[in-house]
Amino acid sequence: MVNPPTPAMRNLALWLLAQEANAGKPSEIKMYAAFRVCEKLRRRLSTLAGVTGYRSLISRALTLAKKEAPSLGEVQVKEDGSLEWTGAIELQQGMDEAGKEGGAVLVTQLLGLLVTFIGQTLTVRLVRDLWPDAPFEDMNSETEKEL
Amino acid sequence: MSEQDKVKIHKLPTGVPGLDEIMGGGLPELSFNIIAGSPGTGKTTLGHQIAFANATPEHPALYFTVLGEPAMKMLRYQQQFTFFDQTKVNNTIRFINLSQFVLEKDLNAVMAQIAKEVEGTSPGIVVVDSFRTVARKTQAASEMELQAFVQNLALHLASWQATTFLLGEYTEDEMRGNPVFTVADGLVWLYQIVERNAVVRKLQIVKLRGQSSVPGMHTFRITEAGLETFSRTLGLAGKKEKERSKRRLSTGIAELDKMMGGGIPEGDSILVSGASGTGKSLLATHFIAEGLRRGESAIVAVFEERPRGYMERAKNFNLDLETAQKAGRLDILYLRPLDLSVDETLHEILEAVRRVDAKRLVIDSVAGFEMALAPGFRTDFRESLYRMISALTGIGVTILSTVEVEVSFTAFRFSNFSVSFLADDIIRLNYVEIDGQLRKILMIIKMRGSGNSNDIREYGITSKGFIIGPRMKGHRGLITKVPESLDSSAQEEEPPDKPKGEE
Repeated sequence: MVNPPTPAMRNLALWLLAQEANAGKPSEIKMYAAFRVCEKLRRRLSTLAGVTGYRSLISRALTLAKKEAPSLGEVQVKEDGSLEWTGAIELQQGMDEAGKEGGAVLVTQLLGLLVTFIGQTLTVRLVRDLWPDAPFEDMNSETEKEL
Repeated sequence: MSEQDKVKIHKLPTGVPGLDEIMGGGLPELSFNIIAGSPGTGKTTLGHQIAFANATPEHPALYFTVLGEPAMKMLRYQQQFTFFDQTKVNNTIRFINLSQFVLEKDLNAVMAQIAKEVEGTSPGIVVVDSFRTVARKTQAASEMELQAFVQNLALHLASWQATTFLLGEYTEDEMRGNPVFTVADGLVWLYQIVERNAVVRKLQIVKLRGQSSVPGMHTFRITEAGLETFSRTLGLAGKKEKERSKRRLSTGIAELDKMMGGGIPEGDSILVSGASGTGKSLLATHFIAEGLRRGESAIVAVFEERPRGYMERAKNFNLDLETAQKAGRLDILYLRPLDLSVDETLHEILEAVRRVDAKRLVIDSVAGFEMALAPGFRTDFRESLYRMISALTGIGVTILSTVEVEVSFTAFRFSNFSVSFLADDIIRLNYVEIDGQLRKILMIIKMRGSGNSNDIREYGITSKGFIIGPRMKGHRGLITKVPESLDSSAQEEEPPDKPKGEE
């Protein structure tokens, strides 16, 4: 059975997005923070699971996320597993908040899949290899907690 | 060349219980090894166990995965094993997927990628899982290309001071003329043999340069702790034999001791053979209880009844096993799970003997022992039992085994299992029909290296246990179980197990 993403996973996703939002330009669209999180994970996970392995994972996460966040409708997975926006630029610019939420849903789904496959401990280890200060809470817990 | 002049080959732990001993002390450091076998034999688990056992911050492990089990699933399943320390993942053990390189590039590029990772990490252990898929890359190319690739890989990894393991799904036919096997320093072959409803796992060290491994096939099991091996020499190879003592051990039955010239010679293997209900287990319990009474430690391996029942029965005959059990001087092993390998069982018995420093061991019964084994292991039974008995008696443990024989009124058998060669001494218990009564007789068939009574004695089982009566006179043909009377006066004596109310 696939575990649905828990509030803890979403909290971690929001934390990661906040880190990566700071790394971007202020004028940049909000969804790009999620792209940067996924890109960092792609590089790490492609080494571990192979390009195909990561591409399968992010494709599944995107499919699941699109059901919750229509703003991801124009996002596609490229051959190497990286993400691209295939819609018009104007469309992005008009949906900053929705895009931010879409990014959060996507990263949450990706973390959820990782926890399902390799467990919480290894997922947190992988995330902390990239973001050493990433907060840890029980991602299997259904209880919402503020980070 | 003196020992000092020789290069010292350091040995690394395998992380697999029993395997270091089979390999002659461990994995030769800097060696280039192949772990081969068909799917499901445990190659990946063995590769992980070796990596987890040896990876340190100074000497990390690199685990290359290639077009086999997807890495995510591999991590998912492998973390179920207790040896899988998650804190080592991507820390002291780095998992690197080479699938893309193998699919899209040539062997030189694969080699370059491995070299890059190795040079960047300086690993102590390198695993390629599965190397078979790398080798397949060359199927369209020449064998020479594969030879060159393997040679370069071996050279490079050894130069970078890595001990390497290539995991692959090979069949034995592929071994001949395959350059991969020629270059390898070590070759571990894993087998999974299905026999009737049982699965038997075995491994063989086909080749190991620089050190002597234990030859032959060794049983292994995969549990939540990973692989666990059971050497066919039971870890007793090269153990020094103890000088035989002249001490006699009491059986706890005074008359039987007299018949045996003062008891069982210490370090003997004694077989108590008889039909069902003749009191073999009771005799064995007397032997154990007497040892415990004298302050010795003991092991009872039971296959036909549970320890609780064994204890209760002893209590009914006023034989105290409980005190010694509570004091840790007696261990009753109940060994009856199906699919048990003979070596596994013997390892358990040996372990228990070592644990309590047992001087006496009872195997009750040999037939039950054999029945508890997976069918595939039964062919090895006598050989393995012989090895264990020889090894244990060699270190001074006295072993009493019971064996059931079929009731036959035409033949006189020591046992149905042809295990009498295991015994220094044989006691035979038997039924005879006399005057419409089924009576019990006992005789000492054999005592190696010492004299014994030739008498055929009647015995009975009373609330005091095993009671041996006088020599049974006045009949001939007792051992055929249908004796003829020689003298009617000899019939006057009552059997020793006559019910008390009739006394």
